[in-house]
Amino acid sequence: MATKGVLRLSVPFTNSWRSLFGNPLRVTCVSVRSAFTERNDDSALKAISTSLVPYRSKSTEVAPAPTSIKKPYSPFQGPFSSKAEYALARLDDLVNWGRKSSMWPLTFGLACCAVEMMHFAAPRYDMDSYGVVFRASPRQADVIIVAGTLTNKMAPALRKIYDQMPQPAWVISMGSCANGGGYYHYSYAVVRGCDRVIPVDIYIPGCPPTAEALLYGVLQLRKKVKRMNHLQAWYRK
Amino acid sequence: MASFRSVIVNSYKILRQNNGVIGSFLKLFRHDDLKWGTCIGEDKFGNKYYQNNYYFYGKNRWVSFPPSVGFDFDASQVPPEWHRWLQYITDEPPSTHPLPKRNWMADHTENLTGSSKEYVPYSTTRPKIEAWVPPKK
Repeated sequence: MATKGVLRLSVPFTNSWRSLFGNPLRVTCVSVRSAFTERNDDSALKAISTSLVPYRSKSTEVAPAPTSIKKPYSPFQGPFSSKAEYALARLDDLVNWGRKSSMWPLTFGLACCAVEMMHFAAPRYDMDSYGVVFRASPRQADVIIVAGTLTNKMAPALRKIYDQMPQPAWVISMGSCANGGGYYHYSYAVVRGCDRVIPVDIYIPGCPPTAEALLYGVLQLRKKVKRMNHLQAWYRK
Repeated sequence: MASFRSVIVNSYKILRQNNGVIGSFLKLFRHDDLKWGTCIGEDKFGNKYYQNNYYFYGKNRWVSFPPSVGFDFDASQVPPEWHRWLQYITDEPPSTHPLPKRNWMADHTENLTGSSKEYVPYSTTRPKIEAWVPPKK
């Protein structure tokens, strides 16, 4: 309540620091008083408008700005210096669309996270509807989902499998064990995060993460793939 | 098994709600789904929420994202009040049963990962290891 009183006193931001630190006596006086008096609705509304805390407007409010302006599909809208750059941007769009629409992950189930990975494949969180199909061979895979604790013994195998995947290859680190060791962080037998061995694109938190979380991670990876600009980068070089 | 007549009726309703054949095609292209239903409400981001109990539980409530987000719609664009309705935590939509507003509640933002406003973790403690700085020649 005391801090509330402090925050509500201050009108502009620059004065707020003065009221916070500069004049402690005045602040305490007011806060003690405000703590024991019932505030009516008008003063509460006034306090809201002068508060430092960002106040949430009602989620049921209708959109203030017209939302009919369409957002374009492509993230590459920038001013192009030449026609070649424009053409390569559209080619990038096409390539990215193909890549993100059929990402084939390699199963790398190491622990209990693999069970959630199986749920992701099952009909409820139907991963096939996103073009995600498990492959058993790293030669046919785009993504590797590291699901579970990566031990020291398994680390060379993971690196080898990652190197066998055709480029570009993406990595989803699933669960706290793969992210940073998790529960086994202080074990002498465990790698503290699979990003010590391979470069990771998406980290999914959780112990284990739900199949829904893995699905969200895959969707985030799709967004990331959509932003890739290999051809444009090659041309600029 | 849906009868032949109900298929016809539903197709007609879908076409009428989605502005004809072309509108329905665009809707299907963007949202991968074609349904008809009653609009329960709209939030300040422009998301529209629909319900139709003709569809099976779990598919009978859905959200339609505004055209301002294009193809980059995301589940985190649904504010928490509507999330609880959309995920069957409650049956009462916040448009008819508004929730209390608290002073400490921050405004809803979508997941900003991948944008310029993304959260980057940083350490607030002094590093335990003093890194070796190579001597300058």
